[in-house]
Amino acid sequence: MAWRLYALELPLREVEEALPQGSEPEAFHPLEEPWEAKAAPPTPWPEPLCFLDGRERVEALVAEGSRLALLGCVAAGAAVWEGGRMRLHAPLVRRVGVGLEGPLSVGELAYGAVPPVGEGLEGLQEGLRQARAGLERELAKGLVGGLLVVDGPVRWVREGPVLGYIKTHWARYLPREQEGLLRRLVPGERTPLFRVRRKGMELASWYLRLPLAPEGVRPPESGLLRVETPLLGDFRALADLSLSLFPALASHPLKDPRAPQNLLPVGGLERELARRMGSREVVGRILARYLGGG
Amino acid sequence: MERIGVVLGSREATPLEFWVGVEGGGLLRLDDLVVVEGHHPKVGRVRYFGMVDRVAKVHEGESFDTDTFLAVEGKIPVSLAYVAHVSVTRILPEEFFPPDPGSPVYLAQGEELELALYYEAMRNQRGSTKLPAGLLKNGEVAYLNLEFLNGAKGGHVNISGISGVAAKTSYATFLLKSLLESGVLEEAHQAKVLLFNVKGEDLFFLDKKNARLTEEARAAYARLGLPATPFGSVAFLAPPKKEGYLPDVDTRLEGVRAYHWDLVQFAQRGLLPFLFADKGALSNLGFLVAHVAEKLRRLAQGQKGPALLVEDWPGEDLPEGITFDALGKVRLKGFAELVAYLEFKLLGPESGEGEGDRAWTARQARPTLEAFVRRLRASVEGVGHLLRGDRPGNPPDPLKGEQVHVVDLAKLRPQAQMFVVGALLKDLFERKERGQYRGQVFVVLDELNKYAPRDEESPIKDVLLDIAERGRSLGVILIGAQQTASEVERRVVGNAAIRVVGRLDAAEAERPEYRHLPASFRQRALILPQGAVILSQPEIPVPLLVRFPFPAWATKREEVLEDNSAEALRRELF
Repeated sequence: MAWRLYALELPLREVEEALPQGSEPEAFHPLEEPWEAKAAPPTPWPEPLCFLDGRERVEALVAEGSRLALLGCVAAGAAVWEGGRMRLHAPLVRRVGVGLEGPLSVGELAYGAVPPVGEGLEGLQEGLRQARAGLERELAKGLVGGLLVVDGPVRWVREGPVLGYIKTHWARYLPREQEGLLRRLVPGERTPLFRVRRKGMELASWYLRLPLAPEGVRPPESGLLRVETPLLGDFRALADLSLSLFPALASHPLKDPRAPQNLLPVGGLERELARRMGSREVVGRILARYLGGG
Repeated sequence: MERIGVVLGSREATPLEFWVGVEGGGLLRLDDLVVVEGHHPKVGRVRYFGMVDRVAKVHEGESFDTDTFLAVEGKIPVSLAYVAHVSVTRILPEEFFPPDPGSPVYLAQGEELELALYYEAMRNQRGSTKLPAGLLKNGEVAYLNLEFLNGAKGGHVNISGISGVAAKTSYATFLLKSLLESGVLEEAHQAKVLLFNVKGEDLFFLDKKNARLTEEARAAYARLGLPATPFGSVAFLAPPKKEGYLPDVDTRLEGVRAYHWDLVQFAQRGLLPFLFADKGALSNLGFLVAHVAEKLRRLAQGQKGPALLVEDWPGEDLPEGITFDALGKVRLKGFAELVAYLEFKLLGPESGEGEGDRAWTARQARPTLEAFVRRLRASVEGVGHLLRGDRPGNPPDPLKGEQVHVVDLAKLRPQAQMFVVGALLKDLFERKERGQYRGQVFVVLDELNKYAPRDEESPIKDVLLDIAERGRSLGVILIGAQQTASEVERRVVGNAAIRVVGRLDAAEAERPEYRHLPASFRQRALILPQGAVILSQPEIPVPLLVRFPFPAWATKREEVLEDNSAEALRRELF
């Protein structure tokens, strides 16, 4: 039997699954006292300064009998600031088939086999996510020295400093009492450091406020960024550096729908990655042509 | 071959034009020549030669104009796109299919450059016809096909450009230098040049070294294969002063000869119409002018000059100083007297309402005759010193003696300028028509708009049209120049195989006369620097922007390199 095209889009997930499961955080462990807003003098950026990001895209759901596989594309790239210029580090782009047993060639597209992580559609999607994370890690190995900034939580430890930043805040890390400080943070200020434990990693984390356009009514979370770094080395200096780094790279709401949290270099990088993944339309047509129907 | 980039796929590539993406630190400028190799299984290898006529740079990955500021601050990653538009000049073999996007693009150098510019086709049975015409941007020599200049396949040069940016006259003289001394023109020693000096006394130092000639310019001459020397064989001719016979010049004091015609030459050669060359003069006088010119010709038949002898002018009307000579004829000693004589012949004696000589008036109405006489009288002041009866005439004869004849017109009144140009060109053309001189004659004439205006008729325009249309087969080549080609008779410009454009006025550049230039060249014509011109020739489908070296000859008094050596002084003195 051969793989046949089942759908070009994923069926919509149940909304409830995606909603945050917010509750009182269990163990709050501040690393700095007292609990009040902190500012820091401007610090020069370390070189090279690398912004790492990845993208994943579901291209089709294919079926062979009752088995399902997810064809997708993952990409990872880095924008590297060095010598006053931001350049692109050669991006990696791969087509993967989550749930395939061997590579699958569809016209001029070649999908490598990747195992699913878990059961059902969820597992296929998680497999794709893992493939992207793997690609990001692979790319990160080539980025030696300097400071690495990753989009999302820090998932691994590298030699040299690494910062992760989280744009949307589903999970709560602060008890209600300390959370009040978030509303009082002004652009250029951060909260004191606190400890975060996740999957065996010890991290230092803090919130900071990005500069915002003066007009308009907005929720207290707007422009709020949570940054984390492994609890190693001089993480306090990194926290101070982050105040010089992130506000300067905040994007403008007129240009980016996810402003200001989506940093400027990352926005550029995402556009570039999307371009390297090829046209979604063209890919869809190739798949439909070779795998039939849909 | 130096690879410079690839054919772009994001923009349409056609057999006649395509875009090139320049890679890495590559440099591709306007006027650079490139070659692309294409391949098709049915046709095989095809090479596209082309010239860059547009270059552009843009930041890719910027979606807003203000993103540039972020890019400059290093906040967003952008990639620099450097693209160039190429106009194809040639496809070898001639298979007109487009190159593949992604095909490598190389700089055309050496043999490829020659192919791109059709140099290898510039030859005849006797050898190369590559006439050095300046230097390309990349330092290579730009050539003209001599066969389009010497009349073999085409002829004539037309130069346009505003004054004062050293283009028209300088380029014309440079071209002459190349024609006479590059060795490409066969029998260059037999070629003659008639050069009209219309402004200042710029051309009066063609035979003197230029003191400001730099080493760089010398090197440019060496590249072109031309000696960096002034012209060797030059005659300078200027009109005489109003009184006497000394040439009327200010800056050059030695070696200038005065020229004038005597009355017998004036009559015999039928030069009268050239006095009526000004605007609108010929509306109803044409017939009378031709008639009187013919009468004068008959009158002068067999006379030796310089004075014109007439026998029927009554003594009582004689101005002072006129006497009957031994033959019983009156000797007309000057143009003023000739005019008085013609007045008498056409209108009768001054006293009373007489009638003119029927044989001369040709039954024209009296107002016509009066108009004719009025015009003639008015011209006495302007041309009286050029038409004399007291001394044998010595009009310029470009076919004899020195190779280059510079004829000064600068100080003459417009009417006299017309007369000199008309008289010389007519004489020259008639003699070439009769086969009296074998070699080629190059005529350099600035201000063509004055001599061959688009909208008016004049006897000089007729001569110029004759030269433009038939001259090339007779070996008379016109190197004409003007500020605005749009004001020159279309056929005169249209017959020029080689068009040269210097800096143009913005409004002028948009006129249809410059449609032979692609739009980008018309734009560039507005900002051409000194010493650069755009050259169009029939064989090459794109114009070339060429630089030509600073003149090796002086162009004004201050530039003359004084030779104060003992040897030179000895030659002066002994």
